[in-house]
Amino acid sequence: MTNPLIVAKNVEKSYQMGEVIVYALRGVDFTLYEKELVVVLGPSGSGKSTLLNIIGGMDTASAGELFYGELALHEAGSKELTFYRRNEVGFIFQFYNLMPNLTAYENINLSVQIAKNPLQIDELLTQVGLSDRRDHFPAQLSGGEQQRVAIARGLAKNPSMLLCDEPTGSLDLASGIQVLKLLRSFCQNYHKTVVIITHNTSIRHMADRVVYLKDGRVDKVEKNENPISAEKVTW
Amino acid sequence: MLWRKMLRDILGNKGSYLACLVLVLIGLVVFTAFSILSDNLRLSKEEFYTGQNFADGFVELTTMPQRHVETLSRIDGISHLSGRLVREVRLYAPQRQESVYLRLVSLDLTDPGRVNDALLLSGAELTGGALNAWIDNKFFEANGLELGQSLQVIAGGRLHELTLTGVGMSPEFTYPLRDLKEFYPNPEQFGIAFVPLEDMSTLFPDTRDRVNDLVFTLEAGADFDRVKELLEPELEQYGLRAIYPREDQLSHVMLTEEINGINSMSKALPLLFLFIAGIILYIMLKRLVEQQRGQIGLLKAFGYTNREVVVHYLSYALVVGSIGGLIGGSLGILLATPMTNLLFVFFNVPPVYTGFSLYYLVTGLLLSVSIFLFAGYHGCKDALKLKPAEAMRPPAPPFSGKSLLERVGFFWGMLTIQGMMAVRNLSRNLGRSVFLFLGIMISCAVVAMTWSFNDMVDKLVFYQFEEVETYDAKLILNLPAERKAVARELEKLPEVMRAEPMLEVPVALSHKWLEEDVLLLGITADSTFYNILDKRSNRIVPEKDGLILSERLAQKLDVQKGDSLDFGSPLFRLAKDQQVKVVEIIPQYLGMNAYMELSAVEGMLRQGKLATSFLLSVRGDTDETVGHNISTLRDRYRESDFVAGVDGREERFRQTRELMETFGSVIYLYVFIGVITGFSIIYSSSFIILSERSRELASMMVLGMTPREVFSVITFEQWFISFFAILAGIPLAQMMQWGFAMEMSTDMYTIPGELTLQSLFVAPLITGLSIWLAQRFVLSKIEKLSLIDVLKTRE
Ligand SMILES: Nc1ncnc2c1ncn2[C@@H]1O[C@H](COP(=O)(O)OP(=O)(O)OP(=O)(O)O)[C@@H](O)[C@H]1O
Ligand SMILES: [Mg+2]
Repeated sequence: MTNPLIVAKNVEKSYQMGEVIVYALRGVDFTLYEKELVVVLGPSGSGKSTLLNIIGGMDTASAGELFYGELALHEAGSKELTFYRRNEVGFIFQFYNLMPNLTAYENINLSVQIAKNPLQIDELLTQVGLSDRRDHFPAQLSGGEQQRVAIARGLAKNPSMLLCDEPTGSLDLASGIQVLKLLRSFCQNYHKTVVIITHNTSIRHMADRVVYLKDGRVDKVEKNENPISAEKVTW
Repeated sequence: MLWRKMLRDILGNKGSYLACLVLVLIGLVVFTAFSILSDNLRLSKEEFYTGQNFADGFVELTTMPQRHVETLSRIDGISHLSGRLVREVRLYAPQRQESVYLRLVSLDLTDPGRVNDALLLSGAELTGGALNAWIDNKFFEANGLELGQSLQVIAGGRLHELTLTGVGMSPEFTYPLRDLKEFYPNPEQFGIAFVPLEDMSTLFPDTRDRVNDLVFTLEAGADFDRVKELLEPELEQYGLRAIYPREDQLSHVMLTEEINGINSMSKALPLLFLFIAGIILYIMLKRLVEQQRGQIGLLKAFGYTNREVVVHYLSYALVVGSIGGLIGGSLGILLATPMTNLLFVFFNVPPVYTGFSLYYLVTGLLLSVSIFLFAGYHGCKDALKLKPAEAMRPPAPPFSGKSLLERVGFFWGMLTIQGMMAVRNLSRNLGRSVFLFLGIMISCAVVAMTWSFNDMVDKLVFYQFEEVETYDAKLILNLPAERKAVARELEKLPEVMRAEPMLEVPVALSHKWLEEDVLLLGITADSTFYNILDKRSNRIVPEKDGLILSERLAQKLDVQKGDSLDFGSPLFRLAKDQQVKVVEIIPQYLGMNAYMELSAVEGMLRQGKLATSFLLSVRGDTDETVGHNISTLRDRYRESDFVAGVDGREERFRQTRELMETFGSVIYLYVFIGVITGFSIIYSSSFIILSERSRELASMMVLGMTPREVFSVITFEQWFISFFAILAGIPLAQMMQWGFAMEMSTDMYTIPGELTLQSLFVAPLITGLSIWLAQRFVLSKIEKLSLIDVLKTRE
């Protein structure tokens, strides 16, 4: 196995709701390795998004420790988290979140501008199969195409990991598979870690590892010795 | 339930609603406070005028037998006519540096229906023959006098003791200026004393049974000009100097103009504020309806009627409008009385307060609520058109094509991605951008104009006392005197280095059907103490027989350089048949005069080589020694009946400046208005952007942009518009300044219609600063933006 990228020790996340405390994470122990593709599964409300957000530096844990190499994310301030996000993390959401008034090219450029050693925008566009749509605005693209732009944008700044929260959630089978193929190929070609949250259990077959969350805890972790290719995923 | 939703919506967006509220609040404070203020002033004025029988007409004469008053009062159209003796005297006050003057105004104790009667505020009635007087309350207070005290005055060449039996005031002196060159009353050095007519002859033996001033009231419906025509021939023989209606009376003019100014301000300012607030509300509601289309669809699907939905959104407007209206109105009412008191410091009128005014409270409330309902309705009427099914679908994506600016390749190439987003947003919300533009433009213009105006007032005082008048002291004679002899006499004095004669003659100038009574200044051709300057501040040498006019005077008489005027002087009983050519027209900021070479004036008057005053240079190297020598000079003539007074230029300069500074502070109100306008526009527009694009902004932060980088997208947009708006604000300011200068200029002072260089720097700076300040609030909001909350939900 490769080196650990993220190490979570007993991470908790709680929300104070008036008198009661709501727990989203109740002590998660979890390690994310370099170059792997992890699928996170679990019932709604089990804490998947919360965990991903904390790993991605969008949110902070209430208790426990979280390390990115030497960097203690649980102690980091908002400035450090911003630079952590800027340099190390690419996010993909269910609702693409592209800038409506920037073209595909410009959307990617937005993230290239702030990156240390970004990737080539046109090359990325070719890889996501959208080189002919480079000057189109999001409103002129389909959902699947928008999601591919979002992936290209996430990757463009050349982060160490790509965190995807239900990336296929609002796509049909064909576009979903296209997206998954992309994610898989980036994991392999660029040697990046990819985390995919999904409700779609069949996607687990393409993962290197599958993490099951339940009630804010890691229920079990499965290792997949022979992940299938993305084309073979069906739902 | 919907009320609760509304309250949460408002709280969730409290920044923008607060900005709206503050604007309404200010608008209504100004509305009620200024309306009540103007009512108070008007009422006080009217009551004072009626109570004291304020004159409709004023006549100044050389001298006339008192018995003739009786005959004159029988003239058709005159209701009551009082004859008075008005004389200015100097106070004998050796301990004081500066000259103190009292204008003695006689009261005929035998006349029960006195016109311009003095109102006794405290003390006892006057008794004839006892050399007693009522003193005006401002002078009384400013000099810390006491009743029963005696004032020593120099009259008729002798020292007299005038006992103060009372404190009084008169509608004739609500804004008492000693001469037209002064801007503001100076109660420390100039006061009014009301003296029994018979006591006047004790003070001035040559005036026994004579008067030199008439005031009269008109019968209802009588016409002043008609009465003037009847009076003129009767008075010709008594040396008629001036006859004018109430509309030209100095104090009346000042007071009336102030009331009119406040009155128009009480309407214009609140409308401006409410207008801006209305537009902000309009934009916010429009935005809210767009944002909440899903909710609207849901409400409609539940079975809420269109009407109920619109009423729901209008309730936002209603709440803000009525809260702002009520608080603002009440605050205005509270403020009205202290503000009135403040004004009564400047205008000497017995105050009448209207006090609590339900009328203005209700009108103000109605005004703000109706403007808001109007703005609100237009903001949310789109909600009506939505069908429930349609409403629940997301809106058609805004067209985001290429904007015009993108076609300018060079410009586009310079922009960062943030810049590109900003420019596209500008064209995406064109209406809003225009509003932002106009708002900033007006804000900048108001500041520039105000600043400029303030600079101008400063400048014109400086111009008058540093560039035009360069003497050290001016010695004013009581009567015209042979000038050579007096000059020789003066130059013999150890304090005086040089004396230059000057002849100041009231003249009547007429051109076509236009006529103006002005003071003609006769100045020696080689004068070094009084410079007649042209537009470029070059000195003009007065020609032998040409007339030089101030710009305003030329305008009023409609003459050009080269035209000829009819020239007459009531004082010297000069028939109006002399013609004189206008050789130059010059700028003059203080006063409105005509100028001529000294000997040419003598030629016109045919009275010999006279002077009415002397301009002196006084020995001394420092201001202090000069000042000291001027007071020595003053001491010399303290008891002289021949010299009316000695004015120090430095002293007048300083006094005028000081007084101006206190009054000038009022001007900062306008700067404040400009700042508030700029601030609230940027503030609310930022919050609209923030709520509208929180998703975009959050996405950028997820990408790893710092709050500052995200913030720069918003600020770039605002600065981009503001830059052009500020540029456009300058010509607007120039136009406003021209208008304002025209409006404000009187015969006493002319305000130049130019913007000063300084204001061109200050206004953009202040506007920029208020923009910058408003943006700070936005930055802190962005820093607190919760990424997860924003991104969790679907757009
Ligand atoms: N801001 C919040 N305040 C209170 N509770 C919250 C908040 N955010 C999340 N939670 C709670 O934390 C728990 C975990 O939420 P999370 O979004 O991580 O679930 P999830 O596994 O991603 O669910 P889903 O599959 O539906 O997206 C939920 O029970 C949720 O109610
Ligand atoms: Mg989730």
